[in-house]
Amino acid sequence: MIGLSLASLFITAIDLTGRQRLLLMWPLCLAIAVVYKTLRCEHVRQVPSSAMVLWVTIVFGLYAVGLGLWGLYTVLV
Amino acid sequence: MELPIRGPLAGLLSWLVPGLGHFFLGDRARGLILLVSITATFWTGVAIGGVRNTIDPNGDRKLWFVAQVCSGGNAIGALALRSAVAKSPQPKGSYLSSEVAVHFTGIAGLLNILVILDAIARGEPARGVSGVDRRSPKGVT
Repeated sequence: MIGLSLASLFITAIDLTGRQRLLLMWPLCLAIAVVYKTLRCEHVRQVPSSAMVLWVTIVFGLYAVGLGLWGLYTVLV
Repeated sequence: MELPIRGPLAGLLSWLVPGLGHFFLGDRARGLILLVSITATFWTGVAIGGVRNTIDPNGDRKLWFVAQVCSGGNAIGALALRSAVAKSPQPKGSYLSSEVAVHFTGIAGLLNILVILDAIARGEPARGVSGVDRRSPKGVT
Protein backbone atom coordinates (compact mmCIF):
# COMPACT_ATOMS: atom_id res chain seq x y z
CA MET A 1 0.00 0.00 0.00
CA ILE A 2 2.75 2.44 1.02
CA GLY A 3 4.84 1.29 -1.95
CA LEU A 4 1.92 1.94 -4.31
CA SER A 5 1.32 5.47 -3.04
CA LEU A 6 5.07 6.15 -3.11
CA ALA A 7 5.20 4.96 -6.73
CA SER A 8 2.22 7.15 -7.67
CA LEU A 9 4.17 10.14 -6.34
CA PHE A 10 6.71 9.54 -9.10
CA ILE A 11 4.19 8.63 -11.81
CA THR A 12 1.80 11.58 -11.73
CA ALA A 13 3.11 14.93 -12.96
CA ILE A 14 2.56 18.16 -11.05
CA ASP A 15 1.18 21.16 -12.94
CA LEU A 16 3.49 24.10 -12.33
CA THR A 17 2.92 27.81 -12.76
CA GLY A 18 5.63 30.21 -13.92
CA ARG A 19 6.12 31.53 -10.37
CA GLN A 20 6.51 28.00 -8.98
CA ARG A 21 9.13 27.33 -11.63
CA LEU A 22 11.10 30.36 -10.41
CA LEU A 23 10.85 29.10 -6.81
CA LEU A 24 12.08 25.63 -7.81
CA MET A 25 15.35 27.28 -8.82
CA TRP A 26 16.18 27.58 -5.08
CA PRO A 27 16.43 23.83 -4.26
CA LEU A 28 18.22 23.13 -7.55
CA CYS A 29 20.84 25.79 -6.80
CA LEU A 30 21.13 24.45 -3.24
CA ALA A 31 21.94 20.97 -4.59
CA ILE A 32 24.57 22.41 -6.94
CA ALA A 33 26.15 24.45 -4.12
CA VAL A 34 26.17 21.52 -1.66
CA VAL A 35 27.70 19.04 -4.13
CA TYR A 36 30.31 21.53 -5.36
CA LYS A 37 31.38 22.57 -1.87
CA THR A 38 31.35 18.95 -0.60
CA LEU A 39 33.91 18.12 -3.28
CA ARG A 40 36.01 21.29 -2.87
CA CYS A 41 36.20 21.72 0.93
CA GLU A 42 39.12 20.06 2.70
CA HIS A 43 37.02 19.33 5.83
CA VAL A 44 33.35 18.34 5.75
CA ARG A 45 32.54 20.70 8.63
CA GLN A 46 33.29 23.64 6.33
CA VAL A 47 30.61 22.50 3.85
CA PRO A 48 27.40 24.00 5.42
CA SER A 49 28.64 27.58 5.72
CA SER A 50 30.47 27.72 2.39
CA ALA A 51 27.60 25.98 0.56
CA MET A 52 25.16 28.51 2.05
CA VAL A 53 27.27 31.43 0.82
CA LEU A 54 27.55 29.89 -2.66
CA TRP A 55 23.81 29.14 -2.74
CA VAL A 56 22.84 32.73 -1.92
CA THR A 57 25.41 34.01 -4.46
CA ILE A 58 24.04 31.79 -7.26
CA VAL A 59 20.38 32.56 -6.55
CA PHE A 60 20.77 36.33 -6.22
CA GLY A 61 23.21 36.39 -9.14
CA LEU A 62 20.66 34.63 -11.35
CA TYR A 63 17.85 36.94 -10.22
CA ALA A 64 20.11 39.96 -10.90
CA VAL A 65 20.89 38.69 -14.41
CA GLY A 66 17.19 37.99 -15.00
CA LEU A 67 16.16 41.46 -13.79
CA GLY A 68 18.87 43.06 -15.91
CA LEU A 69 17.76 41.23 -19.04
CA TRP A 70 14.10 42.00 -18.30
CA GLY A 71 14.99 45.69 -17.88
CA LEU A 72 16.92 45.67 -21.13
CA TYR A 73 14.01 43.99 -22.91
CA THR A 74 11.58 46.57 -21.48
CA VAL A 75 13.75 49.46 -22.65
CA LEU A 76 14.44 48.08 -26.12
CA VAL A 77 11.02 46.65 -27.02
CA MET B 1 48.41 -2.62 0.59
CA GLU B 2 46.42 -0.45 -1.81
CA LEU B 3 44.61 -1.81 -4.84
CA PRO B 4 45.94 -0.40 -8.13
CA ILE B 5 42.36 -0.10 -9.41
CA ARG B 6 41.13 1.75 -6.31
CA GLY B 7 40.43 4.97 -8.24
CA PRO B 8 38.49 3.45 -11.16
CA LEU B 9 36.60 1.18 -8.75
CA ALA B 10 35.62 4.19 -6.63
CA GLY B 11 34.48 5.93 -9.84
CA LEU B 12 32.37 2.95 -10.88
CA LEU B 13 30.80 2.74 -7.41
CA SER B 14 30.07 6.48 -7.57
CA TRP B 15 28.28 5.99 -10.87
CA LEU B 16 26.20 3.11 -9.48
CA VAL B 17 25.26 4.94 -6.28
CA PRO B 18 26.29 8.61 -5.93
CA GLY B 19 28.68 8.95 -2.99
CA LEU B 20 29.39 5.20 -2.69
CA GLY B 21 32.89 5.71 -4.11
CA HIS B 22 33.70 8.13 -1.29
CA PHE B 23 32.24 5.61 1.19
CA PHE B 24 34.54 2.97 -0.31
CA LEU B 25 37.53 5.31 0.10
CA GLY B 26 36.64 5.83 3.78
CA ASP B 27 35.25 9.37 3.43
CA ARG B 28 31.84 8.45 4.80
CA ALA B 29 30.50 11.90 5.74
CA ARG B 30 31.32 13.27 2.29
CA GLY B 31 29.77 10.20 0.64
CA LEU B 32 26.58 10.56 2.67
CA ILE B 33 26.17 14.25 1.78
CA LEU B 34 26.69 13.47 -1.92
CA LEU B 35 24.28 10.51 -1.81
CA VAL B 36 21.51 12.53 -0.18
CA SER B 37 21.90 15.67 -2.31
CA ILE B 38 22.15 13.97 -5.73
CA THR B 39 19.48 11.34 -5.04
CA ALA B 40 17.09 13.96 -3.65
CA THR B 41 17.63 16.22 -6.68
CA PHE B 42 17.04 13.37 -9.13
CA TRP B 43 13.87 12.02 -7.51
CA THR B 44 12.48 15.53 -6.91
CA GLY B 45 12.71 15.98 -10.68
CA VAL B 46 10.94 12.66 -11.30
CA ALA B 47 8.21 13.62 -8.79
CA ILE B 48 7.66 16.99 -10.52
CA GLY B 49 7.36 15.68 -14.08
CA GLY B 50 6.23 12.09 -13.60
CA VAL B 51 8.55 9.29 -14.65
CA ARG B 52 7.21 8.94 -18.21
CA ASN B 53 7.59 12.63 -19.09
CA THR B 54 10.99 12.93 -17.39
CA ILE B 55 12.94 9.79 -18.32
CA ASP B 56 12.43 9.38 -22.04
CA PRO B 57 15.20 7.68 -24.04
CA ASN B 58 13.23 7.95 -27.30
CA GLY B 59 11.94 11.51 -26.98
CA ASP B 60 13.29 14.79 -28.31
CA ARG B 61 15.51 15.37 -25.26
CA LYS B 62 18.11 12.68 -25.94
CA LEU B 63 21.07 14.75 -24.68
CA TRP B 64 19.26 15.34 -21.40
CA PHE B 65 18.72 11.57 -21.18
CA VAL B 66 22.48 11.05 -21.54
CA ALA B 67 22.97 13.46 -18.61
CA GLN B 68 20.33 11.58 -16.59
CA VAL B 69 22.09 8.25 -17.18
CA CYS B 70 25.21 9.70 -15.49
CA SER B 71 23.39 9.40 -12.17
CA GLY B 72 23.60 5.63 -12.61
CA GLY B 73 21.48 3.69 -10.14
CA ASN B 74 18.91 6.47 -9.90
CA ALA B 75 18.42 6.45 -13.68
CA ILE B 76 18.24 2.63 -13.76
CA GLY B 77 15.57 2.70 -11.02
CA ALA B 78 13.61 5.39 -12.87
CA LEU B 79 13.83 3.44 -16.14
CA ALA B 80 12.57 0.32 -14.34
CA LEU B 81 9.67 2.31 -12.88
CA ARG B 82 8.94 3.76 -16.33
CA SER B 83 8.80 0.34 -17.97
CA ALA B 84 6.62 -0.97 -15.12
CA VAL B 85 4.01 1.76 -15.68
CA ALA B 86 4.41 1.94 -19.46
CA LYS B 87 0.97 0.51 -20.22
CA SER B 88 -1.02 2.27 -17.52
CA PRO B 89 -2.99 5.38 -18.57
CA GLN B 90 -1.36 8.58 -17.44
CA PRO B 91 -2.34 12.19 -18.16
CA LYS B 92 0.49 14.13 -19.76
CA GLY B 93 1.82 16.90 -17.50
CA SER B 94 2.31 20.47 -18.63
CA TYR B 95 5.33 21.42 -20.72
CA LEU B 96 6.61 23.57 -17.83
CA SER B 97 6.65 20.71 -15.34
CA SER B 98 8.37 18.28 -17.71
CA GLU B 99 10.96 20.96 -18.56
CA VAL B 100 11.75 21.59 -14.88
CA ALA B 101 11.79 17.84 -14.19
CA VAL B 102 14.28 17.16 -16.99
CA HIS B 103 16.50 19.97 -15.69
CA PHE B 104 16.49 18.56 -12.14
CA THR B 105 17.30 14.99 -13.22
CA GLY B 106 19.83 16.07 -15.87
CA ILE B 107 21.68 18.37 -13.48
CA ALA B 108 21.73 15.55 -10.88
CA GLY B 109 23.48 13.39 -13.49
CA LEU B 110 25.93 16.16 -14.42
CA LEU B 111 26.75 16.72 -10.74
CA ASN B 112 27.39 12.99 -10.44
CA ILE B 113 30.05 13.28 -13.17
CA LEU B 114 31.92 15.65 -10.81
CA VAL B 115 31.48 13.12 -8.00
CA ILE B 116 32.79 10.27 -10.18
CA LEU B 117 35.87 12.28 -11.25
CA ASP B 118 36.54 13.32 -7.64
CA ALA B 119 36.28 9.70 -6.44
CA ILE B 120 38.72 8.57 -9.15
CA ALA B 121 41.18 11.35 -8.20
CA ARG B 122 40.94 10.61 -4.48
CA GLY B 123 41.41 6.90 -5.11
CA GLU B 124 44.68 7.34 -6.98
CA PRO B 125 47.41 5.53 -5.02
CA ALA B 126 49.79 8.42 -4.41
CA ARG B 127 48.31 11.66 -5.66
CA GLY B 128 45.34 13.58 -4.28
CA VAL B 129 42.87 15.89 -6.00
CA SER B 130 45.32 18.79 -6.39
CA GLY B 131 48.06 16.61 -7.81
CA VAL B 132 50.06 16.96 -4.59
CA ASP B 133 51.20 13.81 -2.84
CA ARG B 134 49.12 13.94 0.34
CA ARG B 135 51.00 11.13 2.03
CA SER B 136 54.40 12.79 1.94
CA PRO B 137 55.26 15.51 4.48
CA LYS B 138 54.75 19.17 3.41
CA GLY B 139 53.15 18.09 0.12
CA VAL B 140 56.48 17.18 -1.51
CA THR B 141 55.97 14.85 -4.46
